[in-house]
Amino acid sequence: MAEPAPLPRFNPWPATIFTMLCVLAVLFLLPTFGVLLSSIKTTRDIAMGELWAFPSSLYLGNFAEVLGNPAVHRYFLNTLLVTLPATAVSIALGVLAGYVFAKLPFRGSNALFLVIVAGMFFPPQVILVPLFRLFNGLGLIDTLWPVIIVHAALGIPICVLMMRNFFATVPNALREAAIMEGANEWQVLTRVVLPLSLPALAVLATLQFTWIWNDFLWPLIFTQSDDMRTIMIGIVNLKGQYSVAWGVQGALSLVASLPTLLVFLFFQRFFIKGMTMGAVKG
Amino acid sequence: MAKLQLSGLTKSFGVVQVIKGLDLDIADGEFLVFVGPSGCGKSTTLRMIAGLEDATLGKIALDGRDVTRARPADRGIAMVFQSYALFPHMTVADNIGFGLSLLKENRATIAARVGEVAATLQLTPLLNRYPRELSGGQRQRVAIGRAIIRNPKVFLFDEPLSNLDAALRVQMRLEIARLHRRLGATMVYVTHDQVEAMTLADRIAVFNDGRIEQIGTPMELYEEPANRFVAGFIGAPAMNFLPVRVVGTQAESPGLTPISVTSGRKSATELGIRPEHLSVAEGEGDISGEVELIERLGAETYAYVRVPGQSVDLTLRLPGETRYRSGSRITLKIDWDRTKWFDEGGQVLR
Repeated sequence: MAEPAPLPRFNPWPATIFTMLCVLAVLFLLPTFGVLLSSIKTTRDIAMGELWAFPSSLYLGNFAEVLGNPAVHRYFLNTLLVTLPATAVSIALGVLAGYVFAKLPFRGSNALFLVIVAGMFFPPQVILVPLFRLFNGLGLIDTLWPVIIVHAALGIPICVLMMRNFFATVPNALREAAIMEGANEWQVLTRVVLPLSLPALAVLATLQFTWIWNDFLWPLIFTQSDDMRTIMIGIVNLKGQYSVAWGVQGALSLVASLPTLLVFLFFQRFFIKGMTMGAVKG
Repeated sequence: MAKLQLSGLTKSFGVVQVIKGLDLDIADGEFLVFVGPSGCGKSTTLRMIAGLEDATLGKIALDGRDVTRARPADRGIAMVFQSYALFPHMTVADNIGFGLSLLKENRATIAARVGEVAATLQLTPLLNRYPRELSGGQRQRVAIGRAIIRNPKVFLFDEPLSNLDAALRVQMRLEIARLHRRLGATMVYVTHDQVEAMTLADRIAVFNDGRIEQIGTPMELYEEPANRFVAGFIGAPAMNFLPVRVVGTQAESPGLTPISVTSGRKSATELGIRPEHLSVAEGEGDISGEVELIERLGAETYAYVRVPGQSVDLTLRLPGETRYRSGSRITLKIDWDRTKWFDEGGQVLR
């Protein structure tokens, strides 16, 4: 008679990891859920102290108040005025520098690349006071310029790192083939290398847009008047004088996160691999 | 079409000199093939002609015009890369017309020229496809199409067939030969495959260690190699080399019946015999041994014969159907008129 096959030993790891991931997911999603609940409750419901309770009825007054508030429109506009140019400038500089580091190396270029990438590891607190003094001296405090400039500059290291690493995967033969056809370096970059780098550009655009849009520190330091505040400062500004308007703040938090979500949804179709397939042998 | 001249061409990477002063004249309409082992400098030389590498010293002239420092696009040279180097985000038509679009030609002109080129290379049905949707041979034809559309003076091919399978390689070899005949263009072709070199070339330049060992027609190199390197490199299977010692007027080698040599060959240290210049002796022969291995290729068979006292097996070409098996004893005759004798420096002794 055949021996019955021994039962496989119970491996606790998959179940443990799954449970840990579920706990982590709940921990991350719970605050968002709390904000969502607050945003659809009346101030009175919230004041009753039942923060996690479902509302007795769906209340959209908080959203109406947020969307009808001219100050919120201003916050949105300011945030866009900071985020779009800072994202564009940091990515543009990252593309140019990354191309040089990947395709046109020169003596000392690796050392320079490391110096630039090391910029990622500077804590912003270290440069906060000097930058404030610098922009104050230039008369730019309480304008959007320092926020744009600082975000563009702080984005350069990650943009250079990502673009350089991506460009390094584009076969050199493509650049040489384009040069043989009469292309200059700018044409090689714009007509051959960049169209192949859409996945990297999409990732960078999403990351940079999200970081800059969600930033609280730099607008807080460099802007003072309500006219110059960005959306994240605006959320804090919306609190009342004697009490916190949780419902309105919750609604604005959700509305404020919509653009980053839209940016992600727009760019995620470029998050595909295999763009260079068929370029070279295989 | 154009005449290409390289004079004193040298290339160094740091302190390492990889091309050591090449002098070469390539005639108008000639098909010249660079062959040599990996790292011998043939691709670097091609890239210097293309303008993708700067020459450290020397001169490259195209129809008498010095182009050593000219931009690649200003030289009137086109290149087909080993990896095809097609732009993956462009269709076949855009790939072929890329050079013309850079010249800001109007769309109708580009479309017309692309159509002509595609028709000559049988690419018309594929014009709207992307490179990833093409087979290896089709991709290589697109790469050739991109090269010919601007009517270059010189075509450079950098091992264009090495990524293709054996059957497709034969077919593409024929297509390149036809293309050369039709265009009558000057072509420089790099390969490490000496069959490609022998079949395509008007002349072959054999490279070794940054120098040209010999340049000549395929049969000149085969029949009259200048030295041991060329003799060993050209011909498949490779020439057999036996170490010899000349005592008086007799050359001796283990297992070999002593043979008298002319006075010019007294300094010989090696004897070279091509596989087809060895034949089976029914009676007495020049050398005998035991068949180590039989390789049947259909039309012909190669036998590897172990000769007592020799460190390397002798390769012998036999008819397709042969009675010899591994372990058979075999006696061979040497066609002495076709043998080559080499001195210690590897030079051929006449």
